[in-house]
Amino acid sequence: MKSVFITYGQSLNQAIEELLDKLSVRGFSRWDETFGRGSENGDPHYGTHAWPSKNSSIIAIVDDNKATLLMQKLRLLNQQTEEQGLSAFVWSVEETL
Amino acid sequence: MKIYETAVRKPISTILIFIGAIVLGVFAFNRLSVDLYPEMDVPYLSVITTYTGASAGDIEQNITKRLESNLNTVSNLKKITSRSQENMSVIMLEFEWGSNLDEASNDIRDVIGRIETYLPDGADKPMILKFSSSMMPIMFLYATADQSYKGLYKLLDEKVANPLNRIDGVGSVNISGAPDREIQVNVDPQRLEAYHLTVEQIGQIIAQENINIPAGAMDIGSERLSLRTQGEFVESSEIKNIVVATYNGKPIKIQDVAQVCDTVRKLTVEETVNGIQSVRISVQKQSGANSVDICNAVKKMLPEIQASLPSDVKLGILNDTSKFINNSINSLSETVIFAFLFVILVVLFFLGRWRATIIICLTIPVSLIAAFIYLMFTGGTLNVISLSSLSIAIGMVVDDAIVVLENITKHLERKARPVDAAVYGTNEVWLAVIATTLTVVAVFLPLTMVGGMAGIMFKQLGWIVTIVIVVSAVAAITLTPLLSAKMLKFKLVHTYKGVGIIFKPIDKFLDKLDSAYARLLTWTVGHKAITIVSAALIFLASVLIPVLGLVSTDMMPQTDNGQLTVKVDLPVNYNLEQTTTFAHQLENRIKELVPEIEYISVSSGADDQGGFAALFGNSGVNSLSISIVMVDKKDRERGQAEIADLIRAEIAKYSEPTKYSVTNGNSGGGMMGGNTVDVKVFGYDFNNTMDIAKEISDKMKLIPGARDLSISREDMRMEMHVDFDREKLAQFGINTATAATFVRNRINGMLCSLYREDGEEYDIYVRYDEPFRTSIEDVENIILINSQGATIHLSEVAKITEDFTPPIIEHEDRQRVVTVSASLGKGVALGDVATGTRKILKALTLPAGVDVAIAGSVEDQEESFGDLITLLGLILLLVYIVMAAQFESLSQPLIIMISVLFAFTGVFLALWITGTSLGLIALIGSIMLVGIVVKNGIVMVDFTNLQRERGMGLTDAVITAGKSRLRPVLMTSATTILGMLPLAIGTGEGSELWQSMGIAVVGGLTISTVLTLLVIPTVYAAFNIGEIKRERADNRVAIEEL
Repeated sequence: MKSVFITYGQSLNQAIEELLDKLSVRGFSRWDETFGRGSENGDPHYGTHAWPSKNSSIIAIVDDNKATLLMQKLRLLNQQTEEQGLSAFVWSVEETL
Repeated sequence: MKIYETAVRKPISTILIFIGAIVLGVFAFNRLSVDLYPEMDVPYLSVITTYTGASAGDIEQNITKRLESNLNTVSNLKKITSRSQENMSVIMLEFEWGSNLDEASNDIRDVIGRIETYLPDGADKPMILKFSSSMMPIMFLYATADQSYKGLYKLLDEKVANPLNRIDGVGSVNISGAPDREIQVNVDPQRLEAYHLTVEQIGQIIAQENINIPAGAMDIGSERLSLRTQGEFVESSEIKNIVVATYNGKPIKIQDVAQVCDTVRKLTVEETVNGIQSVRISVQKQSGANSVDICNAVKKMLPEIQASLPSDVKLGILNDTSKFINNSINSLSETVIFAFLFVILVVLFFLGRWRATIIICLTIPVSLIAAFIYLMFTGGTLNVISLSSLSIAIGMVVDDAIVVLENITKHLERKARPVDAAVYGTNEVWLAVIATTLTVVAVFLPLTMVGGMAGIMFKQLGWIVTIVIVVSAVAAITLTPLLSAKMLKFKLVHTYKGVGIIFKPIDKFLDKLDSAYARLLTWTVGHKAITIVSAALIFLASVLIPVLGLVSTDMMPQTDNGQLTVKVDLPVNYNLEQTTTFAHQLENRIKELVPEIEYISVSSGADDQGGFAALFGNSGVNSLSISIVMVDKKDRERGQAEIADLIRAEIAKYSEPTKYSVTNGNSGGGMMGGNTVDVKVFGYDFNNTMDIAKEISDKMKLIPGARDLSISREDMRMEMHVDFDREKLAQFGINTATAATFVRNRINGMLCSLYREDGEEYDIYVRYDEPFRTSIEDVENIILINSQGATIHLSEVAKITEDFTPPIIEHEDRQRVVTVSASLGKGVALGDVATGTRKILKALTLPAGVDVAIAGSVEDQEESFGDLITLLGLILLLVYIVMAAQFESLSQPLIIMISVLFAFTGVFLALWITGTSLGLIALIGSIMLVGIVVKNGIVMVDFTNLQRERGMGLTDAVITAGKSRLRPVLMTSATTILGMLPLAIGTGEGSELWQSMGIAVVGGLTISTVLTLLVIPTVYAAFNIGEIKRERADNRVAIEEL
């Protein structure tokens, strides 16, 4: 089991949800408004006067192979919509309830 | 879910809500009445008391003064003026704006109830009417007749005046020039004396003969029948056969001592319409009623009335105020539609995309329609103010939608899904949209709180713009994202395909403009001192325009409604015949001089029956008035003012007129008839005040632009007084009342009975035959008979003297007053004549007990201007507070407010160049500018702040922000400027009313936008210069550290 944490420009919300549906990822949690900035480039997403855009974040716990697939699709999406800003991180889950 | 998200995700509900609002708005629009201005009639009530036979002086002492001192306590009373004239006292009570007239009339009724017993016995009960005589009638009808001419008055009174009076809002209907049938018994005094009879005896006998009395009922057989004695005359010719006495056993009939004529009352007024003798019917509205509604109701009723009249009586409309109002409102509506089209073009020009343009422009009808709903619920009307508010709002309502749309396209450019782009794009800017809306509301909402006359004008404007702007903000965060989600397909690069080809040069031009502006801005920011000093010089130079008097001040713009009223007074000894001859001579000359005439109606002489007609008509048989209605403005070359000057010059050629005036016909509201400069001379002594008034009038004549100088108090009229010697009267056993009644019955006549025919009643008068009442001797020879039957000649008990008395005595605030008033010539501003008049008044030396004051439109003007300046201060403060809160800074709002200064520069310049005077309407425009121009400044400063927050250096931030905000600033300014341009150019009927507002806004906003674009970034940079120095120092430290 892997934990996939995706944080992205709010406007990608629908696209990400569709992606999870397509991959039959049933379980996830979402924070509608998160703020932050990328490590390398892109505008900060602060929801402030200067940087009005905001992020949403999703954490989904999926099987290992599905995690790889998900990351592939996310990479593709990120390439198409680079300016929105999308980051995803994967780490192992030791135990679930 | 946020409101914008709901809107995007529930498109059907959202669209239907807006469609519902539009349907309600269209419904409201159809039910709105039309008027020239918002309801701005001065709240007036009149108290009219008739006391037949009393002279002006008697009326003043016995009625007017008593009523005035008691009415003075009524609450909310602003001013109390009165006219005491023969037979009648008219007191006009002016109330504070917005007073409830129903409450006031109850108060007045209480006062009258209290003092009624102190009024003279012969006086009628005072009447309270909801109109003032200073309000012009709103409609004139005329009637002509052949066979029915004799009974025309009765006919018109019952069949025309009565039904018209029942129309809601009609104050009174007056008939003038109509002959009234009268049965006259004209006695020969010598024969009366020979038979030892008196006028009173004959009168009493006629009254006793002309009578039906029910005599009870009887049972005859099984039936019960009622019994009547029938004495009433069946024909008027019966009168002459009545036996009044027996002399030497022979019966003396009335025809032996008198002539009985079934005729018409002697006319003292003659009316003609286009040269044909006619009767004039004038319709006067109540205070606060809607002229157009009344005119429409009258017009609707006319065919019905016409059908009820005998076939030879023809009714027609001579003059109808609603025509001018309707034409004005129609031409203003046209300009609003033009504004709408211009705004669409501007948006298309800058955005270059059809779909985006449609989305944005859809907010216009949606927001504007809210104004109609507001008007319907508050009972407002479509008028010059409400429509020009819409004109202004059109340019502003698109601003919010543009901001939202811009941000949504930014998300689309980043490849977001349309729905996401719409929701999150709006999410980022909706607070900013509400903040800018608040700034506009801060300007327009205080407008609703002004008092006085200016308050009436501003109230609608304030509410309409506030409501429209708020609705547009709501539409911008609901309708715009919804439509964007559905309609926008973003292509990164314009393809310029098909019709789109025209955008290629436009885009190129805009790109060039951007870079040219950036270069210019770089220069000004680099030369701060030069830029700021020259901007300050431009502003100071523009302030000189009003200081040097290059722009005159005014009240309401003079309108050209194609109606003129010429009033001429001839010497006091002129009789009706001479007046009529002169009137027609003048009428013919005017017809030759002014071929533009459609109708010309002449009224010579005055109605002597008293009544309301006397309030509006001429003052005596020696006066005449000519009303001219010209063809529509578009069908003639010469303006009304020019023609008025021409007619004045013509009248000046004659030697007969003692006083004349040519004034604008009425244009709806009571006070809109025209601008006048009045000087009031207060003082008790007739001679002193008259001398001063004459002196002022003579001096004012020399002021260029002052026309039609007139003094309200008419020349003293000669009067004959019968002074009784009480001792001698007592010796003969007669009291003054009896003696006076004798005189009255012989000269004025004794109304002894009423003759009935076909259900109508006509007066039967007994009086001396005309040849026996033409000289002083005739009066002296009047015979009085005492209770013992002795005959006494009037000359034995009284002296007949001649004296002069004023025909009318006017009061203002219970003091006697004479008003000298001047109207204005073509293109003359009120302020100029007022300044000249003030100088004259200063140089005057006044005798004790005489006071002078300037009044008229000037008084209103000063009051309104005062209110507006206070308002301007309040608005500036509020806008400052809103901006300071928005930027959390004390200095940045000040920088933005520089644009307000330049707005005034533009207003002054535009008014000066176009030769327009600064009236109330132009001032309204200038105040609105505050709200419009600060928006530009906010956009500039806000974006500069944003760039700096993103870490840009000061100079870079200023220039980048300027460059990127150039298009939005130009676009929002252009929508407003082009929206107002049709108003400023306006050539349609009534365009004078709103032209000055258009000129002020277009001039102010153009100059302000251009200067704001250059000066605000420069001043912004200058204000933060300390930071630049600090930055440089930091840089040096950093370099040294390295």
